[in-house]
Amino acid sequence: MSSLPSAPSKPPIWRDIRVLRWAFQLLVLALVMAMIYWLYSNYQANVAKSNIPTNLLFLDNPANFTIPGNDLDQSQPVRDAFVQGFYNTLRVAIVGIVLTTILGTLVGIARLSRNFMVRAIATAYVELVRNIPLLVLLTFMNLAVVLQTFPRIENAWLPLDLFVVSNRGIAIPWFEGSGTVLLTVLAGALIATWIVVKLRGRSSDSTGKPARGLLFGLSTFVILVIAGWIVFGYNWVLPFVDDRATSGGLRLDPSFFALLVTLVVYTSSHIAEIVRGSIQAVPSGQAEAADALALSGGQKMLLVVLPQAFRIAMPALGNQFLNLIKNSSLGATISYFELTQIAQITVGNGSPAVPAFTLTLLVYLVISLVTSVIVNIANRRLALVER
Amino acid sequence: MKKTVSIMAALAAVTLVVSGCAAAEDTSATDDTSTTETTTETAANSVLASVIEADVVKCGTRDALPGFAVLQEDGEHQGFDSDFCRAIAAAVLGDASKVEMVDLETADRFTALQSGAIDVLVRNTTWTASRDGAEGVTFMHPNFYDGQGMMVTSGSYASVGDMNGAVVCVAKGTTTEGNAALESSRLGLDWEIRSFDETDLILEAFIAGQCDGWSSDVSQLTGFRSAYPNGAEALTILPEVFSKEPLAPAVLDGDTQWAQVVSWAIFATIQAEEFGLTSANVDDISASTGDVSIQRFLGVEIVTDGASSVLDPGLSLPTDFAYQVVKQVGNYGEIFERNLSPLGLERGLNSLWTDGGLMYAPPYR
Repeated sequence: MSSLPSAPSKPPIWRDIRVLRWAFQLLVLALVMAMIYWLYSNYQANVAKSNIPTNLLFLDNPANFTIPGNDLDQSQPVRDAFVQGFYNTLRVAIVGIVLTTILGTLVGIARLSRNFMVRAIATAYVELVRNIPLLVLLTFMNLAVVLQTFPRIENAWLPLDLFVVSNRGIAIPWFEGSGTVLLTVLAGALIATWIVVKLRGRSSDSTGKPARGLLFGLSTFVILVIAGWIVFGYNWVLPFVDDRATSGGLRLDPSFFALLVTLVVYTSSHIAEIVRGSIQAVPSGQAEAADALALSGGQKMLLVVLPQAFRIAMPALGNQFLNLIKNSSLGATISYFELTQIAQITVGNGSPAVPAFTLTLLVYLVISLVTSVIVNIANRRLALVER
Repeated sequence: MKKTVSIMAALAAVTLVVSGCAAAEDTSATDDTSTTETTTETAANSVLASVIEADVVKCGTRDALPGFAVLQEDGEHQGFDSDFCRAIAAAVLGDASKVEMVDLETADRFTALQSGAIDVLVRNTTWTASRDGAEGVTFMHPNFYDGQGMMVTSGSYASVGDMNGAVVCVAKGTTTEGNAALESSRLGLDWEIRSFDETDLILEAFIAGQCDGWSSDVSQLTGFRSAYPNGAEALTILPEVFSKEPLAPAVLDGDTQWAQVVSWAIFATIQAEEFGLTSANVDDISASTGDVSIQRFLGVEIVTDGASSVLDPGLSLPTDFAYQVVKQVGNYGEIFERNLSPLGLERGLNSLWTDGGLMYAPPYR
């Protein structure tokens, strides 16, 4: 201790913080790798002992089962069954995300309403639904609502003679054929609507008169769709009860309906809270400024508050969308033929469990990652560009 | 974009770890045998050794199939399959109560066996080629020969051929799904086949009128019919039987010793019925009989010219295993009458071969 070390001397290697950090990280990595290796070699040894295949060749075996509402022949390979399951998962996820966003936003706004009844109902809805386990809600929806409340097919409800509601599903009017005519008309109408809204905005900018984009846009859309119907016809087919099934129209599987409603109701209670919080996070000066400009209540919400609220809400909404997609796997418990149900069925009929579920897991992962990429892109476009 | 990629990479890594864990959970229970070096003694690797060491047989079964396995209010399982679980315990451990019933979902049963969560599966499971092959399990002698049938509400249909466009409900992950689909396309009936996790759910759907038909093995349908809330007369089992369903206990592939033990526990019940041995008379007969084949079977000392011997065929079972099975559980006929006759099931194919049935045990000598 007689002479102080010179200032920049290197510490010994076992006390060098950079070396220690590296060493620690490498150690953790090595431990994790060793753990994975150990688990994997155990798995290998066990499957080798019992001759269980570890590859994906089982996908070429015949599926041997059919899927309600899908054209899967039982001689088609397991691969096709998985594809149908994937479509069914996407079907409930996409419809569910759209509906739950709308419902959640409405309930979220209602939570802040000045009207006591509206506010109380919205609060009760959120608190009730949010505090029930999803599986219980789904089982209840299936057993109590769809099975017991909906009538048997013999005395199905026929509201307006447009729908057929029974515990074998809900049939709605649908167009016959591929629907190209309808889709073309819809696409055309959408483009025309967009142009009209843009033009209105421009004329409003130059004249100073209110744009009324919503009014003009919506009427353009409706007029074009009706005109398309008169000119081309959409081949609407109304559903009807045919013996013990429904014919015509589009039949929504009862389990699809139960799963969809449950997911929408459940997720929207969470989304409502996110929307409420985000609206409250918009500085109150914004709403006051809108009042000062004499905007109506609707305009204030639609043009000033909500766009800013959604900027705040977007990342949290993305999470809820991912939850909804993953929760759709609970459909397997009520006989909705989504990915998990397909995996369970094929495993019960001779497909090896580990490869089949690894595949299922990866498909969910891909769906979720793609969704989060989309949400991230949307988020980036919504985010404030700061200079 | 970079951030997204790194998040994706992290997620992928996490998934790998998680899936690794999941795979390990499936298999870890049998690790002790897989990682140790191979010994010359197969017995050390056999499930038999671990069963004897644990002093309990873990038997994969179910909890709500009338006649075959029902979990009673007192926590005991009662039924045909449950009794075969007990017969295995009686044979191996000498005590029919040393059995742990593990209730399994239909879709999980093979995984449970593969992972070593159970030692033997006696769960109303149909023996098929692809299960034998791809699931890594070996089936034993069937303890029940069954066939798939269709149950409907009385008066709705007279035969399977009438059920055009019907909704048919089945249990998930079973051979039933495939058989129903096959029958539907063979008869050109365009059935909508819905599969459910649990028979309770099928029951709910059936009562509510979501299903026109309930298809399953006839024995199961008979059981459910007898327990139907609105009375058995409300349901009719249609006369057609459209598949072969040999229901057999199963063990893991690659363990011949354990497989033989389980086989002979089942054979013992059949052989005992053939000999006329029942749980009531087995004590008397074993004391008094002079029939050498019965003495061999029961592990009684055979005295010839002053020298006495007991037959030990080398199955790694106690020599008196058949006695224990018959004494504690009963012969095949007793097990059948105790559990299945009350449901109204006939012996049929499950009669002894001497009565024109399929129940036949190899000779015990």
